[in-house]
Amino acid sequence: MSVTSWLQERFDIAAVQKFAAKKQVPVFFGTVWYYLGGVSLFLFILQVLTGILLSLYYQPGAATAYESVKFIVSKVEFGWLMREIHSWSANLFVFFIFLHMFTVFFSKAYRKPRELTWVSGMILLALAMVFGFSGYLLPWNELAYFATKVGTDIAGAVPFIGSFLTQVLRAGDEVSGATLSRFYSIHTAILPLVFIVFLGIHLIMIQVQGMSVPEAQENVPPEKKKTMPFFPNFVVRDLMLWLIMLNVIALLAVFFPWEIGLKADPLTSAPAGIRPEWYFMFMFQTLKLLPAHLWFLEGEVFGILMFGVGGIIWLLVPFLEKPKYTKLWTSVGVGIVLYMIVLTAWGYLV
Amino acid sequence: MNKRDPLEESPPGLTSRRSFLDILLGATLFAWLGSMIYPVIRFLIPPKQPDLNVSSLDAGMADAFKRNTAKILRFGRKPVILVRKKGGEFKALSATCTHLDCTVQYKDDTEQIWCACHNGLYDLEGRNISGPPPKPLTPFNVTVKENKIFVTRDESA
Amino acid sequence: MHLIVLLYFITSVNTFGQQPEDACYQCHLEIDQDQDADDRLFKNYLQDIHVQRGFGCADCHGGDPEAFDDEDAAMWDNDSYLGELSPLDEVKMCAKCHSNPTFMSKFSVSVSVDQESQYWSSKHGQELKQGNEKVATCSDCHGVHGILATDNPNSAVYDFNVPKTCSKCHSSKNYMAGLLDKTDQYDDYVNSVHGVALLDKQDVAAPACNDCHGNHGAAPPEIGSIKEICGSCHAQNRDLFQKSHLNKIFKDRGIPQCESCHGNHRILKPSDNYLKWDGGVCVKCHPAGGKPKLLAAELFNILDSLNTQLESANLLVEQAEIKGMEISELYFSLEEAHNALIHSRTAVHSFNKDFLLEAARPGLTASADALAGAQASLNEFDFRRKGLFGASLIFSFLALLLYLKIKQVESSKRKDTKHEK
Repeated sequence: MSVTSWLQERFDIAAVQKFAAKKQVPVFFGTVWYYLGGVSLFLFILQVLTGILLSLYYQPGAATAYESVKFIVSKVEFGWLMREIHSWSANLFVFFIFLHMFTVFFSKAYRKPRELTWVSGMILLALAMVFGFSGYLLPWNELAYFATKVGTDIAGAVPFIGSFLTQVLRAGDEVSGATLSRFYSIHTAILPLVFIVFLGIHLIMIQVQGMSVPEAQENVPPEKKKTMPFFPNFVVRDLMLWLIMLNVIALLAVFFPWEIGLKADPLTSAPAGIRPEWYFMFMFQTLKLLPAHLWFLEGEVFGILMFGVGGIIWLLVPFLEKPKYTKLWTSVGVGIVLYMIVLTAWGYLV
Repeated sequence: MNKRDPLEESPPGLTSRRSFLDILLGATLFAWLGSMIYPVIRFLIPPKQPDLNVSSLDAGMADAFKRNTAKILRFGRKPVILVRKKGGEFKALSATCTHLDCTVQYKDDTEQIWCACHNGLYDLEGRNISGPPPKPLTPFNVTVKENKIFVTRDESA
Repeated sequence: MHLIVLLYFITSVNTFGQQPEDACYQCHLEIDQDQDADDRLFKNYLQDIHVQRGFGCADCHGGDPEAFDDEDAAMWDNDSYLGELSPLDEVKMCAKCHSNPTFMSKFSVSVSVDQESQYWSSKHGQELKQGNEKVATCSDCHGVHGILATDNPNSAVYDFNVPKTCSKCHSSKNYMAGLLDKTDQYDDYVNSVHGVALLDKQDVAAPACNDCHGNHGAAPPEIGSIKEICGSCHAQNRDLFQKSHLNKIFKDRGIPQCESCHGNHRILKPSDNYLKWDGGVCVKCHPAGGKPKLLAAELFNILDSLNTQLESANLLVEQAEIKGMEISELYFSLEEAHNALIHSRTAVHSFNKDFLLEAARPGLTASADALAGAQASLNEFDFRRKGLFGASLIFSFLALLLYLKIKQVESSKRKDTKHEK
C-alpha cells in the first residue's frame, strides 16, 4: 500500500485505476473479436523481445549474415528457440492483424468516432507487411534473396518513382550486401520506431473510445445488455489467451521448425518453387496472371496501380462509406476476402 | 474444481480456498517466469568457440628480422610479441598486459616492453618492473631452424 | 574448332561424293556386289583413313590403277602387282610408310613412327618372325579396307573397344590351342574394377589391355616391373611398397608385386578383409602365421576401427539430420574422416603399423568429433521435446489457474451484487 501511496503522490494512478475500474467490455456473440487486437499486440511484444535477443548475435553483411543465423541456430543455447519464435510469431502476427482488420471492417467498427483508429490500424498493417518483407531477407538464404530481387523489381514498376524506389531499396542496381545492411536498418531501427508511434496512437484511441459495438447489438434493450469489467475479467482472459498462444508457438517451434536453406549466391539460378511470403501471395499471383499489356499500361504497372488505389480506398473506408450503401460495402469486403483466399490457394497449388 | 453446494455459504472456507488458489497461482506464476527467463539467460551466455589449437607459429625469416625491433604476432586468438634484442637473440612473450588487457609494444630506446594504456613497463624477460602491471608477461619458446623462426608454447610456464 | 569441323566436312564430301578414280576399285566393286553384305570387301572402304587421305588399292597391293577395263595391264602383266599380302609382308607394307618420319610428318607432326620396331619386340612380332602366322598383325587389330583413325570411337582400337578386339583371339580356346592355355582373361577383366570402370562406367581413364601390356609391343609384363606398371596410376601405393621391408624380399625371391595380393586380370575392389588371416591374402605366403600374422591383425584392426567408427558416425549424423537438427558442420568432419580412411588404405602398403596409425589418426579424431557432435544434436533434440513438455505443463496449469481465478472473481461479484439487492 505504501508503494501505491508513494506513487500516488508523484503520479495520479488513482485516475488510471478509476478509469480501468469503470471500463466495461460488452458481452455478446462478437466478444471473441475483441481478443484479436490483444493477441496481435502480444505477438508484437514477442517480436520485439526475440528480435532484440537475436540481434545480440546476428551479423548483417553478405559474408556473415547466413553464417551468424546458422551459428544462432546450432551453437547458441536456445538460439533455435528464439529464431523459431521470431519466425512463427511474425507469421501469426500478420495473420492475426489481417483477421483483426476484417472483423473490424465487417462489424463496421471504423465508423465515427473511430476513423482515426482504423487509419492507424491500417498503417500498422502496412508496416507489419514491410516488417515481414525486410525480415525475410536477413538470413541471406537463396529463397529470400530471390524473393527480394523479385519484390524490389516489382517496386520498379511503380509509375514515375519506380526506378528511384528500386535503387533506394536495393542500395544499388542489384540485391547485394548493401541491400542487406539497408534492410537490417529498416527492420530493426526505422520500422520499430514508426510502428511504436502508430501503435501508441492506436491503443490510446481504443482506450479513450471504448469498445465498438455493432449496430445489431446496439439495438438490444438495455436490460438485456451484458458487460464484464475490463479489469480484471477481460484482462485476465486476455492473458490466458496469450499464454495459450505462446504455448502453441512453442509447439510449432519444436515440431515445425523453419528451414534456413542454402546460402544466397547471386551466381546460381533461381531455385524452382520460388515464392514470396504467404501474405504477399495474392498480389504476386495477380501479377503473374495479368497479361503483359493491359489497355495502354504494362500488366505489372496495372496491377500495382490497382493494389495501390485499392489500398488507399480501403484506408479511407470510414470517410467514403455511407450508411445507405452498407450492404454494398459488405459484399465488396466479402469479395475481397474471397479473392485473397482463392488467389493465395492458387499461388500455392499451381 | 471441487463440487460445491450452492446453498452453502461459509466465508471461512471460501477465504481459505481463495487464498489457496492465490498461493497456487503465485507459485505457478513463478515457475512460469522461471521457464521464460531460463532460456533467455542461457541464450545470453556466448557459446564456447572451439580453441584454435595452435602449438607452433611460423614467424618468418630470421635474417630479415632487424635487431632491436619487435613484431606482434597472432598466436591462436592471443597476441604475442616477438623481440629481437640488440645482441641478435629472440624473445617471445605474451603481448597482453597483465594489468588491463591492452596490447604492449617494444621501446627500442630503453629496450623495454611498454604498455601505453597505463604506462606499465616490463623488461625483456617479461618481468613487470614499473607501473600498474601485477604479474610478469607469460614467456613463449623461440627456436630458429634453417633461418626460420618458430614460436611455440612454453609448456614449463 | 570450326576450322576442323569445316575441313572434315570438305574432305568427307570429296570422298563420299565422288567415287575414287581407280581402276582396281571400279572392277572389284562389281565383284564385291555379288557378295553377302557382311562379306563385302569395300563395306567400309570409303571411311578408311587412307582412302580419305587419297591413297588407293595400288599403294598397298601394287598394280596399275590407271588401267581401266584391262585386267592384264592392271595386274598380271604389271611387275609391281603384289596381290594378297602374307602376314609378314603386311607388317612390312604398313611399316613402309608408318616407320618413315619424313613421310608421316606430312599428315601429323606429332605422329609416332616406332610401331614396327615395337611390334618386333612384342610376343606377336617374335612369333611371326619364327614363322607363326596365327599371331596378330596390324590388320588384326586395326582392320583392313576400312581402317579408322585410333581416336574414332568406332575404331576397334578405341579405348572402349580394345578388350573386345584382343578377346577375338585370346578368348577362343580353339584358336589359342597350342599357343596359350589361358583364355579367360577377357571374362576376368570384364568383371574387374578396371573393366567395370572402362566398359560400364565409360571411364576412359580406366586401363584396357594395352595400358598394362603395351599395344604394338604387347607382352606380359616382367615380374619385377609389375609395380611400375600399376604404379603409373597407383603411384602412392607403389612408393610405399617400394619403401617397405617387403620390397627386397619380393625382389630377391622373384615374387610378383601387386599381383600376388590383388590378382591380374580380375582385380577386384580391394577389401579390408584382405588383411584378415582367414580368407585374406597374407596367408598365401605366410602359412605359418607368427609375426606376419600379428602385423596383419594390427593393420586390420586400425583400418577396421576407423571404418567402424566412421560408419557409426555416418549413421548417427544421418539420424540427427532426419530429425531436423542443424548438423551441416559435421559433414566437414565426416569428409575429413573419409579422406583419412582412403589415405589409410593406401598407407597399408607400407606394411608398417606406426605409419598406418599416423595416417588413420586424423580420421579417428574427425569421426570421433562427428560422432560426439551428432550425439549432442540428438540429445539436444530430446531436450527440446522434454523442455517443451515441461513448459507446456506449466503453461497449461497457469492458464487453468487463471481460468479458475476468473470464475472465482465473477462468482464473488455475482454474490456481491446479490447481497446488494
